[in-house]
Amino acid sequence: MTLASVAATLLTATALLPLIDRGSWYPRAFLAVLLTAGVGAAARRLSMPRPTVVAVQLVASLALLSFYFARQQAVAWLLPGPDAVRRLADLAGQGVRDVGEYTTPAPLTDGIALLLIGGVLVIALLVDALAVTYGLAAPTGLPLLALYSVAAGLSDEGTHWFTFCAAAAGYLALLLADGRERLTRWGRAFGGAGSVSPARSGQRTGRRIGAVALGVALLAPVALPSLGGSLMAGAGSGDGPGGSGPVDSVDLLVELRDNLNETDDRTALTVRTTSRRTDDLYLRIVSLDEFDGKTWEASPRRTVDLPDRFPTPPGLGLQVDRREVTSRISAAGWYRQRHLPMPYPATWADAVGDWRLDPVGMTVIGGRKDTTADKSWQVASLEVLPTREQLAAAPAPGPELRNLTELPASLPEEVGERAREVTKGSRNAYEQAVALQEWFSRTGNFSYDTQVEVGEDSRAITRFLRDRKGFCIHFSFAMASMARSLGIPARVAVGFAPGSEQGDGSVEVTLRDAHAWPELYFEGVGWTRFEPTPTRGTQPEYTRPETAPGASARPSEAAVEDTASAEPSARPSASVSCTVELKRLDACPEPTDPALVADGGGGPRWPGTLLWTAAGLAALLLPLTPMLWRLRVRALRLGAHGRGEADVLPHTLRVWRELTDSAWDLGLPPDDSLTPRRAAERIVRGGRLDPATAEAVHRVASAVEQVLYAPRARAAPGLAADVRGVCAVLRGSVGRGTRLRALLAPRSAARVRWALASWMAGVRSRLSRRAA
Amino acid sequence: MTTYDDRENLFDLTATVERIRNAVEQVIEGKPEVVRLSLTVLLAEGHLLIEDVPGVGKTMLAKALARSVDCSVRRIQFTPDLLPTDITGVSIWDQQRRDFEFKPGAIFSQMVIGDEINRASPKTQSALLESMEERQVTIDGQTYPLPSPFMVVATQNPVEMEGTYPLPEAQRDRFMARVSIGYPGTEAELRMLDVHGGASPLDDLQPVAHAHDIVKLIETVREVHVSEPVRRYVVQLVAATRAHADLRLGASPRATLHLLRAAKASAALAGREYALPDDVQALAPAVLAHRLLPTAQAQLGGRTADVVVREILAHTPVPASPGPRGL
Repeated sequence: MTLASVAATLLTATALLPLIDRGSWYPRAFLAVLLTAGVGAAARRLSMPRPTVVAVQLVASLALLSFYFARQQAVAWLLPGPDAVRRLADLAGQGVRDVGEYTTPAPLTDGIALLLIGGVLVIALLVDALAVTYGLAAPTGLPLLALYSVAAGLSDEGTHWFTFCAAAAGYLALLLADGRERLTRWGRAFGGAGSVSPARSGQRTGRRIGAVALGVALLAPVALPSLGGSLMAGAGSGDGPGGSGPVDSVDLLVELRDNLNETDDRTALTVRTTSRRTDDLYLRIVSLDEFDGKTWEASPRRTVDLPDRFPTPPGLGLQVDRREVTSRISAAGWYRQRHLPMPYPATWADAVGDWRLDPVGMTVIGGRKDTTADKSWQVASLEVLPTREQLAAAPAPGPELRNLTELPASLPEEVGERAREVTKGSRNAYEQAVALQEWFSRTGNFSYDTQVEVGEDSRAITRFLRDRKGFCIHFSFAMASMARSLGIPARVAVGFAPGSEQGDGSVEVTLRDAHAWPELYFEGVGWTRFEPTPTRGTQPEYTRPETAPGASARPSEAAVEDTASAEPSARPSASVSCTVELKRLDACPEPTDPALVADGGGGPRWPGTLLWTAAGLAALLLPLTPMLWRLRVRALRLGAHGRGEADVLPHTLRVWRELTDSAWDLGLPPDDSLTPRRAAERIVRGGRLDPATAEAVHRVASAVEQVLYAPRARAAPGLAADVRGVCAVLRGSVGRGTRLRALLAPRSAARVRWALASWMAGVRSRLSRRAA
Repeated sequence: MTTYDDRENLFDLTATVERIRNAVEQVIEGKPEVVRLSLTVLLAEGHLLIEDVPGVGKTMLAKALARSVDCSVRRIQFTPDLLPTDITGVSIWDQQRRDFEFKPGAIFSQMVIGDEINRASPKTQSALLESMEERQVTIDGQTYPLPSPFMVVATQNPVEMEGTYPLPEAQRDRFMARVSIGYPGTEAELRMLDVHGGASPLDDLQPVAHAHDIVKLIETVREVHVSEPVRRYVVQLVAATRAHADLRLGASPRATLHLLRAAKASAALAGREYALPDDVQALAPAVLAHRLLPTAQAQLGGRTADVVVREILAHTPVPASPGPRGL
């Protein structure tokens, strides 16, 4: 049983593995769980009281955590003194901060490790205490479920099916072990040949339930439509991973390709910008800076709250010319994306919601619930205008960027060889980069083909270099890899190529503009965009090879000057304040905008308020419903009635029903087998009524007899008054508690239930008759 | 519809019955409910079976009832050698007239007291019971109607079973009601000692009503209104005896009829021109129980037919017109 509980916890804890980039915490957690379980087993063996067993296990767990995380501060490495406890608390706080800052998979900091191991240990303690110490196996599902839910909730793309199976199997094993243990406690069951012993049948039942539950759990997600999680087409086919952001670059890239092949070319984003160079307006979503030989991925990032002004982009020197442009980007309602597509490098961004900045990748990531759907955001970005000289003169990157030139050993040599071959004769990194771009886009005879698979193996790049057929992913991956092989820091940006300019000056970016491109790093300039993909996007001025060697003119200067001369005041200031220009471009937030957006997507709030008020009122009134119903019914029964002969019977019966129900509310239940006369006697007896009141009761009963059984019904006056009087006396004869109960929770409200039941039965019988 | 005459008749009825009751109660001390039941059966044109241990006044009740009404009374002591002709009568050859002459038997009376009816042979019993049901006697092809009112009050002793012929179910069914007198209470027994110590009070009993009065009362009872819900209630009660798990034999349709007639008489006795479920409830054990046959298991469990009838009464809802919907 102990082993089963350990297995259940550890199997469920595997769900946490994908959250962290390294799994080295797991063996430590494994050992800790095993040790505390062992301590528990030993304590139980010593016949300690059950609370003591749990306490001993707690102390052991604390000691273990001290040993793991606060060895220096702990007394004799194990005993947690005040220092150790302080250290653990600090670490836990740090862990909580780290969890908030990193996206998954997060790096294994000490804080996160403490949270993980401590959390698993707490769950293990709970499971062990419940299942073994207190013998309640079934409720262990709750802590296990909590553990699994935390893992599933933190993981952006949900948990792997394997971890689900592992957790489920662990719990089932625990239940089965519990069933067996219960049986052995009772002794062996006798059974004749061929008969199934209870143990076996119990196991079989357990297995059946387990199989059905697992089946349902696995099939339900297939049957149910998942939340749209596609990178480019949020409201797409719905077969993407539910609600995930583009953290998993494999999914992201596959979706990118799907979007490129999309027949329905929907507008995802509409951009209004102060930039005059809309053909250079690349919108970045994410940058992939880790290459494992198969694919490019985003490294775990620490994010910060969206600052008023973003930090200076890495590597951008003061000598490089730049201009700040402001863009207002609106996403379509169906376009769900956890990163804000924006130009690079952005200097500030303003968006409603919980958005955070990744200062390294210079991307903006939404909180758990924030997506771009139906949102507008304003972003200022720099148009960096480096000269070729500046790029060519860039010194070798510092050691801190060494990891951005790393290539996995699994990458075939051919890539590096090809890079060197293509860039033969280049004098510096810049020229090498330009040569690579030139080779891919022109001289290398590559063709653009979106039907080619993305490829997730280490041979994908060599295959691409051989076949010379692919689309942006292949081009960008290959160029970035080759650049790295030449010692140039490189990464891949994923986002949108410039969209098409509309008549009203806005730019529409569609699904098919989805794009990936390499960014190469030049010291003093920073990350610089290249465009190796033929027929897609635009190549930056500073990379055009024909002017590259020896050219001194700033290629973009002319264009800039053009703009400046045509409309000198058009250059927007770096200020975030709204200029005339911005207003003209509709890039300023409308006065009502922030308020509306802050209110949660616009629209008047009163229906919601009304709804909440109604719900609150309903919640208040719900407990009072029986009372209100009873008061209403009493008023109806004793209220005015017709004087005609036909009204005598219903009125008398209503009055009689009110009398019997009032008696019922006060504790004298009605009895259908009693005649009116006997019922009246019972009320008189039960309520110990005085003769005058008793006479009133009998008067009502006689009236009922008269209308029900006499040849002709005769009206008896004053019945309602009689009943009111009797009810008052009845209420006076009981205690306050009974009176209160009769008022708030009248027993006669059961009639509503009966009426409902009989109505349901009637409906059912009608339905069955119709079906027959 | 009740008329003035009906109410007058009812008034007469209650007055007459009150007189008879008072007379009978001079003899039978402390048993008003038994006296009332006897009168109810009389007015409902039924026959009464008094079943009790010896010496509690079975015969006395029958005699008192007969004596209070100025009508012809015959008492038959049933013995094993009693012949059917002793009851019904016999045709004797008249030498002078050279024809058979019918000598009416003891049954040709308005009030017949059959003492210890279960001591007679089944043949004799059945002769009596046939006349009870048909209210006529047919001998040698000649039918002789019995006088009106006609009531048989039979007694039987349930304890002394040796040498008896218990009445079969079919014959018990002919009796409208069965009543047990039971032992008197202490006070009643003390009073009885005072009253019965000297002369028999029966000897002093004078008739307080005429036979034709009784016929009129019976007519009045027939007029008593029984509403549809009460009729339905009677049918439901009888039907419940047929479906009850503890009963081997339920009540017959004749029982339904008897219960209804008894309820009418009971209502008339109370001076009401319509019957109530209360009348039915009050009479159901007396009218139904002697017709029912509990299963062996129920008998072993001590569940008598009387208990079962009371149980049925406690579980059958009293009819009432359904109230307005939702209230």
